[in-house]
Amino acid sequence: MTATSGFDPLALMVMSNAVSMIAEEMGVVLERGALSPNIRERRDASSALFDARGRMVAQAAHIPVHLGAMPESVRAVMTQGPEPGDVFLLNDPYAGGSHLPDLTMVEAIGDGGAIVGFAAVRAHHADVGGMSPGSMPQGATELFQEGIIVPPVRIARRGIPVDDVLRLVLANVRTPAERHGDLAAQRAACAAGREGWLALRLRETPARLDAACEALLDYTRRRALARIAELGDIHGRGVDALEGDGVSDADVPVAAEVSVRDGRMRLDFTGTAPAVRGNVNCPRSVTRAAAVFVLRTLLDDDVPTNDGIAEALDLAIPAGCAIDARWPSAVAAGNVEMSTRITDTIFAALGNAGVAVPAQGQGTMNNITFGGVGWTFYETLGGGQGASARGPGPSAVHVGMSNTRNTPIESLEHAYPIRIDEYAVRRGSGGAGAFAGGDGVVRRYRVLERCTVTLVTERRRHAPSGIAGGAPGAPGVNQLNGKAIPAKCRMELEPGDVVTVMTPGGGGWGTGRESGIGNRESSVAV
Amino acid sequence: MSGLSVGVDVGGTFTDLAAVADDGSVIAYKVSSTPGDQSEGVERALTRLPPGAPPVGTIVHGTTVVTNMLLERTGARVVLCATDGATDLLELRRQERAALYDLSAHHPPPLVPADRIVGVPGRIAPEGVVRPLSATAAAEVAERVATLAPDVVAVSLLHAYADPSHERTVADALRNRLPSCDVVCSTDVLPEIREYERTATTVCEAYVRPGVGRYVARLAQRLHSAGLPEPSVMSSSGGTAPAPVAAFNGASLALSGPAGGVAGAAYIARTLGIERALTIDIGGTSADVGLVLGGEPLLEAGGAVAGVPIALARVLVETVSAGGGSIAWVDDGGALRVGPRSAGARPGPVAFHRGGTQPTVTDAHIALGNIASTTMSDGVELDVAGAIAAIDALSARIGASRQATAEAIVAIVDASMARALRRVSVERGIDPRECALVAFGGGGPLHACGLAERIGVRTVIVPPYAGVLSALGLAIAPQRYITTASVMRVLGELGADMLPFSSLETTLRSNGHSNGDGGAVKHFARARYVGQGHELDVEVSPSLGVDGIRQRFLARHDERFGFTLDRDVEIVSVRCSLSVGGHTMQLARRGRSAWSDETRLDDGGELMGVVAGRATIGLPDATLLVADGWTARSLGIGGWALEAR
Repeated sequence: MTATSGFDPLALMVMSNAVSMIAEEMGVVLERGALSPNIRERRDASSALFDARGRMVAQAAHIPVHLGAMPESVRAVMTQGPEPGDVFLLNDPYAGGSHLPDLTMVEAIGDGGAIVGFAAVRAHHADVGGMSPGSMPQGATELFQEGIIVPPVRIARRGIPVDDVLRLVLANVRTPAERHGDLAAQRAACAAGREGWLALRLRETPARLDAACEALLDYTRRRALARIAELGDIHGRGVDALEGDGVSDADVPVAAEVSVRDGRMRLDFTGTAPAVRGNVNCPRSVTRAAAVFVLRTLLDDDVPTNDGIAEALDLAIPAGCAIDARWPSAVAAGNVEMSTRITDTIFAALGNAGVAVPAQGQGTMNNITFGGVGWTFYETLGGGQGASARGPGPSAVHVGMSNTRNTPIESLEHAYPIRIDEYAVRRGSGGAGAFAGGDGVVRRYRVLERCTVTLVTERRRHAPSGIAGGAPGAPGVNQLNGKAIPAKCRMELEPGDVVTVMTPGGGGWGTGRESGIGNRESSVAV
Repeated sequence: MSGLSVGVDVGGTFTDLAAVADDGSVIAYKVSSTPGDQSEGVERALTRLPPGAPPVGTIVHGTTVVTNMLLERTGARVVLCATDGATDLLELRRQERAALYDLSAHHPPPLVPADRIVGVPGRIAPEGVVRPLSATAAAEVAERVATLAPDVVAVSLLHAYADPSHERTVADALRNRLPSCDVVCSTDVLPEIREYERTATTVCEAYVRPGVGRYVARLAQRLHSAGLPEPSVMSSSGGTAPAPVAAFNGASLALSGPAGGVAGAAYIARTLGIERALTIDIGGTSADVGLVLGGEPLLEAGGAVAGVPIALARVLVETVSAGGGSIAWVDDGGALRVGPRSAGARPGPVAFHRGGTQPTVTDAHIALGNIASTTMSDGVELDVAGAIAAIDALSARIGASRQATAEAIVAIVDASMARALRRVSVERGIDPRECALVAFGGGGPLHACGLAERIGVRTVIVPPYAGVLSALGLAIAPQRYITTASVMRVLGELGADMLPFSSLETTLRSNGHSNGDGGAVKHFARARYVGQGHELDVEVSPSLGVDGIRQRFLARHDERFGFTLDRDVEIVSVRCSLSVGGHTMQLARRGRSAWSDETRLDDGGELMGVVAGRATIGLPDATLLVADGWTARSLGIGGWALEAR
């Protein structure tokens, strides 16, 4: 047992707690100040602290899709010649962003005339303009249709606010007052990160804090490498697909090959489709986030979350493919659906390599938007998680890159002209096996007035796979008045129309039992 | 007040008793807990009052019976009646997974499995009844419930907070069909919007009620046989309820003990003129963090116990798995770690002679010489050599000195507790630097200075009777009754008298909870901006009027969240609480103290001490560690105030 990077192993956990506490507080300040329910209630936001070299040393995340993607934002800011006290705003997927609704703010923390670290806060904003309310358009083919594009630009110079860009952004969104409030909260969260970071430097001395950051990154990397080493020399490939890009129904293949050589994990995405016309593409940073998420799930829960995880990974992503999208490809749905498919594919590759991973989960976030005169309602639905050697898959949860909460029936009915006729576990939708996959959910919406519904869903024709002999989960089903409707669509609704969404079940694990939960696929509710 | 006011707090290892006499003098001690039947330990504690003590006037009990029932899943067989189409709410929860990165982790199973849930055909929507429920249909529901042989039936229907008629219809049918079976309706437990939280709370009440009833009856019987008065039980709200009332409010007892601790800490803060305080009660396996604002424990709705959401108003308590028994170890990455595993009460720290072999936080304190007395509460000598040997074994593995290793163990556990203290305050818009820290429990005084330094607090209070403060909090707590009514109206549409405060107050008083007009009534409105998904509790008075209520809400919102909006305010529900009784104490140091600057043992006698750190002060059942840079001054009411120099 050796000390790490010369840093006192006795103090490591104290420092780990101290930096995590700052990131957590940034998150608290953001939630406390944010106006929109999406940030405050559904917690679609993350905050992180970086050292002077731009390495992420701590993150408070509720949403895994932000996990490995924020470092790209800081890197993008570092190319802009930041000065101490500068604050940048960005959402450009091709310059540090993910998809346009995720507005990321990065503050270059100054001390004695030098940059000593970065505080970054990413939040999903309910609207950033573009062709449809909510800025998650179905059928977009160019980034420009999805909202205002913000490359890394200063909104404060050396600590002094520069309002010009902010005014430009607010002039391009449908709900400027709410955006203004949410951005103010992000600003406050960055400031909290800066204050906490400077106070910690003062208490611990800069040299000791630098050494501690080095040691923390090294510690996480070593925990990750130790876990990878346990896997042995493995090799496996997974191939999966998205069911259309929103413009065409043609499959969009995603491929991943995993190998462990000399104790490092390599992921090669050769075989993944070229960028598509619709908006299910994603930039490289989102692909990286998906890969980091998968490795994170293989680690023990107590490993500190920082850039040390990514440092244990080598990624080979074919240039210009659907998961390394290039300007001006549209990407809004890629962040939610493609990111999920990438994790599915990596898990499949790991499973084929003999690693004990869970079977595939529902593999979609089931994005549902209702819109009428003067109102918009957006939500995502949980489904089945895959079973694993440890037991059955959990039912009715978000399985991958999301973890947002549901909307209570009573709150929804109180606020919108929608009634929920059914919200239930979709019994028997989990794949059979020695352990069954988790069940999806059924949600039946009846609208009381004329409106539109937009569905962006997946796994409606390719079922989530089982593993180790387990059966696949049931694919999802979308219906209007009892008749099937496409996975991705926009429909006009009349009063009394009923939209039913049945989310996919997770795959099963192991060979099924003769009776009981082992073989119940025939009873899937459709 | 006549006779002793006695508080008895049951913990995992010890049952603490604190008794306050009319003249303000306090008797306090610990006996061993009796986990098989807590009431036995309670009786034993009460029958050990010293000869010549005044007769017992009131008894308030802090119990872990409900917490244990939820942890061990040993409650009643409940059948749930829920709206057709929404019978799976308990399984669906709020859709979030149990762990962000552990994809196989499950939430604890619901208290009622799917095959014990019966659908009810009627449907109520915000606009009213959209599908009627006939008496015949309700009778059919009752018939199906009967075949499931319930101990208790819970009824929770959609939008019942707005219209309880269908719940009433089902309850009538059930009482008719199953006359000996208790029926619990969501409208009676928590008439508030949000079906999952309301249903889960209602089911929790049904699940624990029979067990609570049996326990409370057994306790009352024991005490009656011993010639003692009927006990009251502390509720999570920081008020007490007589045993027969507590038996029908089981879910509100889930934080019975910890609420007593915060109530005790708040009393001490008030006595010293301190408005804002963070409180921490450090025990063997866990630490409870609370917040005192305006001299009162912060009351908030929400939280979960053992994975079961209980959305009732409760004294805010956040529990951290860190305490004297937390085990120190070295992980795969070569880092020194502390917890979350704990040696608990058994086998306990190495120093306790109960078979513990792994070094704990307590052992680290012993190795550092932080423990003033080497004799424990039950008279057993600490195994100092054993504790030191365990720390030495760990330090040898790391290649560090004994001193450095032991200091690191304390620093790590301090860091995790400090994080909880910050979270509890910062999340509510409270700057911890504006708070005092009240530190109690067996470990509180040991960690107080270290925690204060980490969160920027400059004043620390170590209360008198720090080792049994929860019991003291129980002894002085008032009786408290709470009723809630749903409103769900925009403030602008309401006339001033459309908030049902007067009927709530009438209900409280007519339930026999108070003789006439006695007691203090408080009124609260749960309010939010229209469209928000969460509410704030605002204390109001019925005469305040619509504008006054709006102003209170805006001020509270600004304090808590840092902004206000130009938007309508919606009242979700109103709540009335009636507090009766409650004791004040003339706390004082009494008698001659054997204090000397050499031994520094504070026996509660009169003394004027000033101790500069670093130093230890021996307290009954605890040690106060005055850190380097701190000065401790003895308080006239007993206990110590510490200031950072």
